[in-house]
Amino acid sequence: MSEHPGNPRAAEPFEPDGVRWSAVSPRLASARRVSGCVPLAVLGLGFAVAALVVPWSQFWLPAGLFLAAAAWTWWLAGRQAAAWAYAEQEDDLLVRSGIMFRRIVVVPYGRMQFVDVHAGPVDRLFRIARVQLHTASAASDAAIPGLAPEEAARLRDRLSSRGQSRLAGL
Amino acid sequence: MAEQPVTERPAAGPPSGRPAAADGAWHRVHPLTPAVKSWSALVVVLVVVAQEFGREAVGGSGDTGDSGGGSGGAPFDVRDLGGGVLAGGTALVALVVLLAVGFAWLSWRMTRYRLTDEALELHQGVLSRRQRAARIDRLQAVDVVQPLVARIFGLARLSVEVAGSGDSKIELAYLTHDQATGLRAHLLARAAGVTYSTTEAPEAPEHAVFELPVQRLLGSVVLSGAFVTAVVGGLGLAVGAGVAAAFGAPFGSAFAGIFPMALAVGGILWTRFTNGFGFRVASSPDGVRLRHGLLEQRSQTVPPGRVQAVRLRQPLLWRRSGWWNVRVNVAGYGAGEQQGEGETTLLPVADRDEALLVLSMVVPDLGVAPGEDPRRLVGTAMDGSGPDGGFVTAPRQARWLDPFAWRRTGYRVTDEVLLVRRGWLHREVDVVPHARTQSLGVRQGPVQRRLGLATFAVHSTPGPVAPVVPHLSSVQAAALLAEQSVRARAARLAAGPERWMAGPGDDLTPGADPAAPAVPAAPAVPAAPAAPAADGPPPTAAS
Repeated sequence: MSEHPGNPRAAEPFEPDGVRWSAVSPRLASARRVSGCVPLAVLGLGFAVAALVVPWSQFWLPAGLFLAAAAWTWWLAGRQAAAWAYAEQEDDLLVRSGIMFRRIVVVPYGRMQFVDVHAGPVDRLFRIARVQLHTASAASDAAIPGLAPEEAARLRDRLSSRGQSRLAGL
Repeated sequence: MAEQPVTERPAAGPPSGRPAAADGAWHRVHPLTPAVKSWSALVVVLVVVAQEFGREAVGGSGDTGDSGGGSGGAPFDVRDLGGGVLAGGTALVALVVLLAVGFAWLSWRMTRYRLTDEALELHQGVLSRRQRAARIDRLQAVDVVQPLVARIFGLARLSVEVAGSGDSKIELAYLTHDQATGLRAHLLARAAGVTYSTTEAPEAPEHAVFELPVQRLLGSVVLSGAFVTAVVGGLGLAVGAGVAAAFGAPFGSAFAGIFPMALAVGGILWTRFTNGFGFRVASSPDGVRLRHGLLEQRSQTVPPGRVQAVRLRQPLLWRRSGWWNVRVNVAGYGAGEQQGEGETTLLPVADRDEALLVLSMVVPDLGVAPGEDPRRLVGTAMDGSGPDGGFVTAPRQARWLDPFAWRRTGYRVTDEVLLVRRGWLHREVDVVPHARTQSLGVRQGPVQRRLGLATFAVHSTPGPVAPVVPHLSSVQAAALLAEQSVRARAARLAAGPERWMAGPGDDLTPGADPAAPAVPAAPAVPAAPAAPAADGPPPTAAS
């Protein structure tokens, strides 16, 4: 973390000084595309087929809407996955996400209550997992989706050990 | 355990006949517990039974009278039939009651608790059993709660809060009131790191600080948004209904629709009144003590350093009277059922001085610059605007997103706390000690980015206080994020021990006045013994 708030580089809250960000796996985009786009695309294609079968029907409208939503989700998933990054600092974990609505969270290791590693079926298909750091606050939402399983395990162990060594009360 | 001098209390305490609840052995809760817990069901059953008997008696006499005057033929048949049904019904009710009583008895038999050196354990449940052990050094608050029915029987519920997500308390229901207060004293002494040889823990002395006059409570309820809305809405409705009636519509129909709403508003106001009734605040070495409640009396103890954040709030209607409402985040409070407004309120309505005094009790050190008056600082936070008092405010660009409050929105960092000032009509001040910061965050939406703004947030434990500084310039937000994480780390390292009496030994000089809450207050570790010396002032009875 920067100790020099006067530094002009620190003007950007989402680009703190001297922080080396680690990106999440690009497979996160694929996983989100599968879970987000596929249902929308199937619906859209279904309506498109219906529109072809029944001529002069109103089915083109929902077909177009669903396909547009699918395309938008496709694009958004890629963008969001690329924006998600984390950095392990000396004393805290930084998580950054979003492009349109940007967000950065600084979670001290000493505040960590427990770590969750979660992988759903689609996640497992793409070999990614989600690591979430929980503090006593419900608001500190420090989740890192899209980590390779071995990286997730490493991060989990590392966070747990750092939490141990820097344990603080409430 | 720290090597504290063992405080001997002479056997002036209660006679040995009373069960010492804190001796490390298993204890049962009070045998009247099932009755107190299910008193409403009990009342229903009693009413039903009474009705059955009553109907039988009335029906019997009525039958004879009627049949005597009427047909005079066959009174026996009717009575037999009725009697048979009645007997069957009574038998069924009796069976249900018997089963319920049996289950309640079993449930009482299965409920037991134990207080060891390290933990409070509670076992309960008949079919699915639950065993819960809470570490005493993680204790966040202890409440003694007396619902109306329990009060009639002289019973109380001891609610021990340890931080956790969701339902994280241990509730011992019900104990006698003496047992509950005795256990509380014991838990607090253990949590503080004070040892003593007797099974009866000494109760820490306390000093009354605040008492809420009932007139002011009523005034605050009347001057609340809910009440004014209700009155204005009611008047509007009455006028509307009158007009409608003039045109021939049924007059009452409009009121029928509004009735549930009126009931809800009335419920809110009633809850506010009963929760705030008789509100008293006292300071003791064990922390802040709160007592309040009209029907259900609650006596809370929040040890030092357990308050995570404080919010002072002044609704627009209170500005003339200069009243403030003070609420706190305590880990575990309000996370369970009903997001308790009753639990997290430190002062329902107080004037400025009282609010400042109580703030100084829960945040003893505001860490102001040398020579600076902490009262003035908080005063600036309460009703100031612009950069006076060292506040960093939102920049001019913020007026596009927040045209009214932007001049007031701001923060001030001292050595110990972050003060956040917000709100134009409803004024709000949040105080978060650096040592209690959980994590930090900055958010920025597309419009904010165009204007060069960002929103800074401190994440505190769940509760009514969520400190946010909206629409700072992104430069300030970045700087604050960087500085605050450094400050929070330093404060965390320097923070006092969880066991608040087990601090550095020389801090525990006995004889210091435990009740000297001035605004530029004492260090975080109170310099007073939890146990009064044998020749000291008698421990104040807590009720």
